[in-house]
Parts: sequence; C-alpha cells; structure tokens
Amino acid sequence: MSEPLSGRRRLPRRRAVLAAAGVGLSTALTAALTACSAAGVGTTSQGITLTFSWWGNDDRAARTEQAVQLFEKEHPGVTVRTSNAEFGSYLQKLATQAAGGGIPDVAQLDYRQISQYAAGGTLRPLGEDIGNNTIRTSEMDRPFLRTGTYKGEQYALPMGRGITGYAYDSALYQKAGIPTPQPSWTWQDWATANRKIAALGLKSPDGRPVTGANDGGGNQDVFETWLRSRGKQLYAGQSRLGFTEDDLTAFWTFCDTLRREGAIAAAEDTAQAKSTETSPLGRRLAAADYTWDAPFPGYTALLGDAVHFAPTPSTDGRQGSYFKPSMLLGIGAHSKHPKEAAELVDFLLNDRRAGDILGFTRSTPPNRVIAARVAKTLKGPEREIYQYAQTMEQYGLGAPPTAPPRGDVAINRAFKRTYERVLFGLATPRQAAHELIEEARRELRS
Amino acid sequence: MSAVSTRAPARADRTTDRRPAAERGRRVRERQWPAYVFLSPWMIGAVVLTLVPMAVSLYLSFTDYNMFDPPRWVGLRNYGDMLTQDPRYWRSVGTTLLYVVVAVPLKLALALGVAMLLKNLARGRAFYRSAFYAPSLLGASMSIALVWRALFNDGGSVSGVLDTFGIHTGSWVGNPHLAVYAVVLLSVWQFGAPMVIFLAGLQQVPPDLYEAAALDGAGRWRQFVSITVPMLSPVVFFNLVLEIINSFQVFTPAFAISGGDGGPADSTLFYTLHLYERGFTASHMGYAAAMAWLLLIVIGVITLILFRTSRSWVFYADEETR
Repeated sequence: MSEPLSGRRRLPRRRAVLAAAGVGLSTALTAALTACSAAGVGTTSQGITLTFSWWGNDDRAARTEQAVQLFEKEHPGVTVRTSNAEFGSYLQKLATQAAGGGIPDVAQLDYRQISQYAAGGTLRPLGEDIGNNTIRTSEMDRPFLRTGTYKGEQYALPMGRGITGYAYDSALYQKAGIPTPQPSWTWQDWATANRKIAALGLKSPDGRPVTGANDGGGNQDVFETWLRSRGKQLYAGQSRLGFTEDDLTAFWTFCDTLRREGAIAAAEDTAQAKSTETSPLGRRLAAADYTWDAPFPGYTALLGDAVHFAPTPSTDGRQGSYFKPSMLLGIGAHSKHPKEAAELVDFLLNDRRAGDILGFTRSTPPNRVIAARVAKTLKGPEREIYQYAQTMEQYGLGAPPTAPPRGDVAINRAFKRTYERVLFGLATPRQAAHELIEEARRELRS
Repeated sequence: MSAVSTRAPARADRTTDRRPAAERGRRVRERQWPAYVFLSPWMIGAVVLTLVPMAVSLYLSFTDYNMFDPPRWVGLRNYGDMLTQDPRYWRSVGTTLLYVVVAVPLKLALALGVAMLLKNLARGRAFYRSAFYAPSLLGASMSIALVWRALFNDGGSVSGVLDTFGIHTGSWVGNPHLAVYAVVLLSVWQFGAPMVIFLAGLQQVPPDLYEAAALDGAGRWRQFVSITVPMLSPVVFFNLVLEIINSFQVFTPAFAISGGDGGPADSTLFYTLHLYERGFTASHMGYAAAMAWLLLIVIGVITLILFRTSRSWVFYADEETR
C-alpha cells in the first residue's frame, strides 16, 4: 500500500486541495501582484518616458510602431514605451493594471470599457486638453465624439469608425432573383431573401442545405440594429435598459421562426461560429453573415470576389446601424506626464503623416480630412467598405448612443448564451427574454 | 603523563555517557539552520503566494469588488446571492455534479480494467504502462483540449467515424446534450494515472491468497470479488478521493472546448468556469472569491464524508492482523 501512495500521485492530493483554494486566490493574487506591475512611468535622465499600450494584429502593430517613432523624432527627450497584446488578454491585463493603481499613460480602449474605467477614476478627463487645443477635435464629428463620454465628460477619443452590415454572396442572391440590397430594404425583405435562398435547395460542400444567412439572435449588435430601426435603444442613458421583454421576445421569435423554417443557419452551426472561417458563410452554409466592416476583407480573401457588403435591413426605411468606435484612446488618470500623453493622442489622431502610416488599420479614421486622404489609396474590399460607410452616411443614420453602461460586458455575454437556450429548445423566446432582462437588471444594479 | 593517560580514557567514557543527548541536540540545531535557509524560497513563496492571497481572497469574498473601485464590505451578500439569486450558479453546480458522477466511476473502472489486463501481461508491461500513462501527462494542457475540440467538432474525426457506423451525431461540441460528454471522455482518456496506482496495488496482493482460493475451487470472478476488491480497497479509496477532488475543479478542457463561455447553452458551464466568468469577464471579483471558498468548503466536506464512510468499506490488511 505504501509503495504506490508514496509515488508521484500523492503530490496531486495536496496540490489539488491548494488548487481549489488557488482558483479563488488568483483573484487576490491579481490585486496583490499588479501593484508591482503598474505602468512603468518615470522621468529618465534623457527626459520623459511615456507608456502606450494597444491590441491588434501584426499589421496594426508595425504601423503603430512606425507612427510612434515619428512622434519620438519630433519630440526630442520623449521616449514612448509601447506594448501590444491580443484583444482577449489585453482587456484583462488592462483591468488588472487599473486595479493595481494605474493603466499606461496612453491606452487603446474598447467601447465597453469606457464607463467602467471613467467611473472608477482610471481615466483622465480630457476636457481641458481639448479646450486648450492640445488635442484637436475640429475635424471629427461631434455626435461621434460623444461615444467617448461618461456622464457628460469626455474621457476617451475614438480611433476608428466602424459600422456593421451583411457580407453576402452576390452570386447566390442573383441565382435566387433577389435584387441588390439597398439601405432602405427592410427586415421583412431580408427574411424573404433568406427564404428564397433556402428554397433553391442548394447543398454546401459537406452536403447540408444552404440557408440565407447566419442566425443573429445571439448577437447583441444585431438586436441593437433591429431595435434602433424601430426607434428604440439598447440602453436608456447609462444605467437602464432601453427595451422591454416584449421587444426582445419579438426579436427572438423572429429569429427562432426563420431558423425553424430553415431560412437561416441551423443551431449547431450558430453555436460553433467563432470566426470568419467557422461562420456559416465562411463554411458556405449560408449566403450572408452579419459582420463589422473591418473584418469584411477577410471574407473576400476566403470566398472570392462575389462576396460584397450589404446594408443592414431597416424598418420602414429607418436604419438601425450607426457609426461605432472600433476602439478609443484614453489617458491614464495617474499619468505623470499628461501634457505629453495628450500630445501623443493628438498626434495619432490628427497628424497627417501619422494618418498616412496608420491607414485603415483601425477602421475609418475619425478625422474626416485624414479619412478622405487615405481613402484615395484604397483598393478592392477596403474601398468597398469605405464607400459603404459613405453611402450609409448619406442615407442618414441615427446618432450613436453614449458609451454603454459598465454592466454591458456581462450583459453582452449573457445575451449570446441566453439565446442559445432558445436555439436548442431549452426555453421559449419569452422565457429566455424574461431571463435575460432579469440578469441584465442585476448587472446594471451592481 | 601516565596518570593523565590512564585517566583520560575514563573521563572520555564518562563524558560519552553524559553528553550524547545534549551534544546531539546542539548538533541538530546547528544542522537545521541551513535547512531553513534552503527552504526559505519555498516558505517565502508559500506565505506570499498562498497564505496572504488566501487571506485576501477570504476578505474579498465578503465584499463587492470590481477591480476598479475599492472593495466595499457587503457581509454575506455574495454567498446569499449565489444561493438564491443566480440561476446559473445552480446550473453550474448541476453540470459539475453530472460530470463528477459520470466521469469519475468511468475513469476508475477503465483504469482498474486495464490494470488487471496489464498485471497478467508477461512481456512489454513497462511499455504499455508508459503508453497508457502518457495521456495523463498531456491531458491537462490547453493544446490537447483544442485538439479535442477539433476531434468532436463538425467534420471532426469522431462524428466521421460514427457516421460510417450509421450513427449521426454531428458536432458534439455544438450540441448542448453531447458537449459535456466530450469533456467527460477527455477525462476518461486520462485513466493512466489511477491505472498506474492500481497496477502497483495489484502487485502488492500476496499471490498465495490466489493460490489458496484456486485450490478451494474459486473461479476468476470469485477471486476478483473476494480477494482483489478487498485487498485493493485502500487504493480504490485513494484514487476515488483524488479523482473527485480533481473533477470538481475541471476547468481547462471545458474552457477550451466551449471557447471560454461554458456553451452551448451553458451545457459545459462547470463551477470553475462560472467562477472565472463572474470574476474576469463580469468583474465581480468578490462574488468569484465567495464561489471559490464555497467550493473549497464543499470539497472539504465531501472528502471528510468519504473518509468517514471509508471505515466501513476499506480493508487494511495490516489492521486485520493486529
């Protein structure tokens, strides 16, 4: 007996018990350790060191580094220490830095972080810097700037302007006799188009029927687009829901019915869609996929030039889409060099040469002059999304809402998994809507 | 000179009679301090990385803490909310219990079965033992979990193989009724660790017991029930405790297979996954800390119950002879 017990398997017992505790302890660890890792800000003998962090792919990283180097050259004595991460880990890293007492001097932020970071005193209010023109905003749209505000105060500035639409296979649409979608097409037109495509009876490469589009029931963005087209909002201000249980029930019933008819993607395909490649359109299981403009070129790269970008459907001509900041830029509240940090922010957003270097790597630049300048050099799918944004702007879109409330990160996740209960028949649309609203209220209260 | 030389041994004799205890004690103390010096990295680590965080975690479990604002004392509210306000909490408890109840017996049965086969193997036992043990070394890693996800996904090998036998399952990981079993199978696949322990246990059973039983006409089944099972019961008990404790904490495979959200439709929402989501996604760190402490308490209680009941079914050969 003693022989096997003294082997290496005894260790796991102790380790296992500790690990159980450890799971919770990592929480505490995080708080304890980040005190040491708080942004390394300090005056060096040569001058000033700024820290700047962002997330993104290699292309964005290379372009950002290049722009930063230009900034350093023009501001002798200022060194910018950059750090780049992948989106998922970036948000957690920034949150732990915030908990530990400070984020970097300049940080790229997600729309959903603004309220939490502003309310928690992590971000520096930018009113003063904008007032004395250290950060220029004259070439940006006022309503769009509002996306970086919390309780009326500007805390961050958008770095890119994104919009949603449907990437769709125009060849399939033609085959089914569906006219090219216009900004005025309605959700009913969209539903009919999906039914027509399903009626073609085509088979995907793995032998399953081709449907009209992906099932957007679990996507809070689709719901918001649908809701806004009906004159409502996701949030009323920054503390309450802007929709009722009936609204959500109607939306989920709409999606649920289409899916049951086979007009949109099947439940299992929706559940495993996590990227362009695994989306129903990417797997050629559907003719269209709801997506943001920035990832759209990925679809044409994967599926060919027949894929185009269609407007989101409207309700009686009223569009629900709006320009959303793909990411924002803020300054840490504890920055020791707020003036230089503000100069860097201004440089990244407004300098012509920085604009040329950065291009459309963060969607359309919010500075109109720079956007127009860079747009001239665009080709193919990138040109298409730029023109799409122009078309939608001319058609007329509602003003964007202010930054979502602090519970939005959790509500967004809840939205997806609560709809999954409808997808797999574990709840009716009404039951699920009731559940979601209960949970959302709890998140908004806390 | 001679007097000295004759007395000296006598004194030496006396002192060796009198001194050993004190001298040994001092020598031990002298020898101990280097031990503490060498232990200090571990001890500093244990205090700074385990004890202090544990204390902080316990404190946080009584607060509302979102990582941005300072923690706010709320007493037992986190524990109360968990038990009464959060439907997903109970869903996660249900999923975890299902997993423990299905995965642990399956894994142990397979481990015992394979150990029995290997025990009688004349050649190549060392090879097979290592081969079956390998998954236990790899299984906890993220990469294996991702491979598992690919295997059980739509168009993956598993549904492909089942298709040829006329069983159409589609994607396991995309199906809320099957996803949890993909995680169960990943756990069962790692039966090698308990198997090695069973194998060692089997080799400890005195062969004369089997010989005597065979002489009395006992068949293989009879021998298994009346000799192997009782003689092996301490090993079974040990494996059972370990596996139950481990299973309650399953995280990586569920995280990877569900893509981090416990889906589809919360079907792989294990306790630890819910805890992680509450803490790191929804920023309710106080709530997550409370969940961790409750899990620790529950695992402790279950282990205690197992130890209590073990008196009635675990047979220790050395106790019998006493």
